[in-house]
Amino acid sequence: MTAPEDVVMAAPVDVPWHRLDRRMLFIRPVLDLVKSLPVLFGALILGHGDSWQWIGVAVTALTVLAGISHVLTSRYRITAEQVEWHTGLLLRKDRAIPRDRIRTVDVTSEPKHRLFKLAAVRIGTGRHSHGKGPGGDELLLDAVSLDEAQRLRTTLLHRKAVVTADEPAVESSEKLVAAIDKRWLRYAPFTLSGLAVIGAMIATVYHFAHELHFDPVEYGPLRSLVARSAEAPTWLVVVLAAVALLVAVSLLSVGGYVLSFWNFRLTRESEGTLHVRRGLITTRSVSIEEDRLRGVEVKQPLPLRAVGGARCTAIAGGLWEGKSADKGGGLLLPPAPLARVHEVVDVVLGEDYDPLTVPLTRHPRRALNRRLSRAVGGVALLAVALFLLSWIDFLPDWPWQVALVLLPVAAVVGWDRYRNLGHTMTGRYLVTSYGSLDRTTVALRREGITGIVLERSFFQRRAGLITLVAPIAAGKGSYNVLDLGESDGLALADQAVPGLLTPFLTRVHPQLVDESL
Amino acid sequence: MNEETSATTVLRLRPPKHQVSRKAMGYWAVWAAVFWLIVLTVQTVIVTTSDDAPTWITVTLVISCVLTPLHLLVMPRWRYRIHRWEVTGEAVYTQSGWIKQQWRLAPISRIQTVDIERDPVEQLFGLAKLTITTASAAGPLRIAGLDRAQALALADELTSATQAIRGDAT
Repeated sequence: MTAPEDVVMAAPVDVPWHRLDRRMLFIRPVLDLVKSLPVLFGALILGHGDSWQWIGVAVTALTVLAGISHVLTSRYRITAEQVEWHTGLLLRKDRAIPRDRIRTVDVTSEPKHRLFKLAAVRIGTGRHSHGKGPGGDELLLDAVSLDEAQRLRTTLLHRKAVVTADEPAVESSEKLVAAIDKRWLRYAPFTLSGLAVIGAMIATVYHFAHELHFDPVEYGPLRSLVARSAEAPTWLVVVLAAVALLVAVSLLSVGGYVLSFWNFRLTRESEGTLHVRRGLITTRSVSIEEDRLRGVEVKQPLPLRAVGGARCTAIAGGLWEGKSADKGGGLLLPPAPLARVHEVVDVVLGEDYDPLTVPLTRHPRRALNRRLSRAVGGVALLAVALFLLSWIDFLPDWPWQVALVLLPVAAVVGWDRYRNLGHTMTGRYLVTSYGSLDRTTVALRREGITGIVLERSFFQRRAGLITLVAPIAAGKGSYNVLDLGESDGLALADQAVPGLLTPFLTRVHPQLVDESL
Repeated sequence: MNEETSATTVLRLRPPKHQVSRKAMGYWAVWAAVFWLIVLTVQTVIVTTSDDAPTWITVTLVISCVLTPLHLLVMPRWRYRIHRWEVTGEAVYTQSGWIKQQWRLAPISRIQTVDIERDPVEQLFGLAKLTITTASAAGPLRIAGLDRAQALALADELTSATQAIRGDAT
């Protein structure tokens, strides 16, 4: 008798099933145990009475057993049409992903994996699951051996090559597009990535100190430091603190840069895939099918822009931004000189020019008023609120005074935002540029845009401006062209998705323009 | 020639052809009435039961009493004017939004799913809500307040048109 699943998944040729690497049995239980330590401790220490302690132990045991059963019972195979996956002992789960829907293969080796030369393989499809539960269209194999990961990557993504030539002896050629340059480290401090680390550290220390009723300022070196700074003039304390913070942020940022981007290599394989490898301790390897590339995004946060740096991300189906595990999946180049970014974009997009260097059309001056009023208005409102709070003696005076000082800064930011607004349609690319503190330039391939959304707020309506939203099944999901003149915006939308708007467009004389868009 | 004309004329987007069902006004009014009923009940209970109700609570109750009929009278008509839709052989086109106006267009070839939804009040009025998704995460196109029979016919038409075109081009 055949097992039920064999009847359902009757493949023309019997493809053998593969299992997760057994060496995960050494890693997974230990990690699960560590993860459930808080529960265990909570139950053993705080839970008075036997029953609570047993519940804690039982929960921990279940967690560990579930982990072990996941490693033991998960199996997968790649048939001619799809990738099939089964898991579970009591609660069985089956999943099958058609091979032609696979867009990306992400191979990540965390320290736990590197212990045994293993890697977690994430197989992504281009779909955003619409409420079908998390990861409904994604497969995570945690973990397989590095060789197996490599095999999966090549079989799943190089299917065109597999169809034509079956012998594995044919070596795929790989062309280097970009590799890490030690000199790029000078951009690391300007990414300010260390700021987040310091913030998290302070929050953790504060949280624990608060929980344990322990005030760090009362003890040890901090106490003497606080005592001494009370005697020194305020400006000196502020300057010293700022310098110390700057040094710490710089060091941490450089450390973060090395950890994430060491051994960075971007290559292009003859089968039409881009391959990114990077990481010092956690290594990551992401493959992107060039057919699925929908565009590129270049980001220049203000400090990085000041020193002529930028970073570059691919907008591709199967790579969604924002989800924790996928974060940074589309990275094409770590913070590097702008000129280098443009060279890479040039190669990656495979055009004979870089659409991001094409001069952009500026937006009407009415857009400047809007940027200014939004930037300055926000800070002004804050200042008024802070003033009212100090007026009722809830806050001291200095917060609203600081907010007042920030007003001109906000005005400059607003002006810079307007200066950075731009758009153009060049060849098959819609290019849009916006932002000041985090200046972004995006080039989208026209064929990836899945529709058109036009938006007009009350204030935009009065200023005769509209925002064009280009929905796309990749990256952030949609990209905006802010504050276009109405007629220009419609013309741009008509070019971006040819024919979609045309039947609904009318031409009128400027004298006859009424309220409708 | 085109460029010559564009120098003297400006482009405008015409609104979609069709309005939703007139019954939708009743539907919107019912939901608004339910909302105001809850608000007014809570306020009245507070004012009448507490011994010494602060004046501002009484003031908000009076404001609610003024706002309720205004909202019930104005909102459904206004919405009815704003919400429009159109389906051609090539595209779906919707218009919505009160303070922030929005026009959404999707080519038929990019449509992934067409859903029909009906809440109890919609069933009472014989209405249905149509949700059309594409592969993008930028949000679906929604046509609310369609006549039920019309919504079903439209969903059928869109589904068969989508199936005729293989793949969603993602």
